[in-house]
Amino acid sequence: MDALDKLGISWQLLLSQIVNFGLLMIILQQLLYKPVLNMLEQRRQRIAEGLEQADKASHAAAEAEAEKQGILEEARREAQEVRAQATRDAERIAQDVRSRADQEAQEIRMKAQADAEAQTAAVMADARKQIADLAIAATEQILGRELANRDEQERFVADYLAQQNGSGS
Amino acid sequence: MFKNLLQAFVLNARIRNATIGVIALLGLSVVPFFNAPPPHVELAAEALLEHGPKWFTNGLLTTILVDLIIILMAVFAVSRMKEIPGAWQNIVEMLVEGMWNLTQSIAGHGSANSRKFFPWVITIFIFVLVSNYIGLLPGFGSIGIYHSGAESHAQGALDNQLAMAGAETIAVAAAAEEGKPVLVPLFRSPSADLNMTLALALISVFMTQFFGVQALGIRYFTKFFKNPFKDGMGAVVGFFELIAEISKIISFSFRLFGNIFAGEVVLLVMAFLVTFLLPSIFYGLELFIGFIQALVFMLLTLAFFTMATVSHDDHH
Repeated sequence: MDALDKLGISWQLLLSQIVNFGLLMIILQQLLYKPVLNMLEQRRQRIAEGLEQADKASHAAAEAEAEKQGILEEARREAQEVRAQATRDAERIAQDVRSRADQEAQEIRMKAQADAEAQTAAVMADARKQIADLAIAATEQILGRELANRDEQERFVADYLAQQNGSGS
Repeated sequence: MFKNLLQAFVLNARIRNATIGVIALLGLSVVPFFNAPPPHVELAAEALLEHGPKWFTNGLLTTILVDLIIILMAVFAVSRMKEIPGAWQNIVEMLVEGMWNLTQSIAGHGSANSRKFFPWVITIFIFVLVSNYIGLLPGFGSIGIYHSGAESHAQGALDNQLAMAGAETIAVAAAAEEGKPVLVPLFRSPSADLNMTLALALISVFMTQFFGVQALGIRYFTKFFKNPFKDGMGAVVGFFELIAEISKIISFSFRLFGNIFAGEVVLLVMAFLVTFLLPSIFYGLELFIGFIQALVFMLLTLAFFTMATVSHDDHH
């Protein structure tokens, strides 16, 4: 034991060091290791959560973007359709309007022609009557007397004119 | 070449001042007034009070100091613990996390063993590291109480022997010191006190056996004791294993003690030989050794713990 004594080893001091170490370990376990490791774990979880949320958010953003694109695409397609429809309708209406206008123009023209013909016929008839009257009057003057059978004369002239008119036309 | 140096010396104020400073310090080292006292090398921790209890040694006092420093640092780091750490909390977290990862890398990731071993090995690391470094503080070995020196004859002789191994000057100095009042330093690094290193070694080796038995039951001891009639070679190997296990206590305790104690002696001797500049180089070395020894003690303990929990029958 002399050698141990010279080295300064004594069982009391040895025991005190062992107890000291044990106490220090227990104190640090409660005071340092547990809280620090808990904190590290907590922080790790927090970061993992944050990353997950960021991931989710970016995922949602991508989804929203895709949805937006879809909606835009559909809207564009619908607009295209509407426009095409409108163009088609407009063309059809234009066609209608044009054809109706054509038709009306035709009608108006035909009516005008008919009127003109009717008028011509009336004028002609009037002219013929006047010519007949003039012819009789002229004849009466030439003869110097009134024609006895006036009605028959008139019919005769009219027949002649009608004959002339018929062959002349 | 010489001309260039001379030119630089004259022109560059920085180089000039540094050179003058170095020469002045080395010169001062020779002046008797600035000489460090001859190193007083004491192998054992000494009782602080000449007529007081023998157990109240400077090593014990410093151990308590080390405990207080560690606990204060822990309290300071943890008391205002935040999700976003401050500087000190960050450093402490780095240490704890680093040790935790190291423990896991050796004892298995997320294993129950890691959680069991962790408090032991990290406490060893922190305690040994602070013990090693505290001995490097100024005042350790130089502030103390003078004892009359009557009772320290045996110690004086031992001093002499130790000093003989070193240098003649120290032996002379130690011899001259005998009979004079002896300065007993107030503080002594716990790592330079065999009681502390031996206590840690005993804890380490005892806990190795404890964890071994906890993991493998009575089967753990088949590592040491085998039936010599069935397995002659195994029995011999087991015997050597037993001796190795016991010698771990000695290697653990004297490795740490030797490194730190020798480091302090080296610093003393260097300060005695050249008072200024020279010791600073060795301070750097001692900082390195202090860290390495703490790490070595911790890693060896961890490795032994882990090895003890692995069954050796698995190889068959």
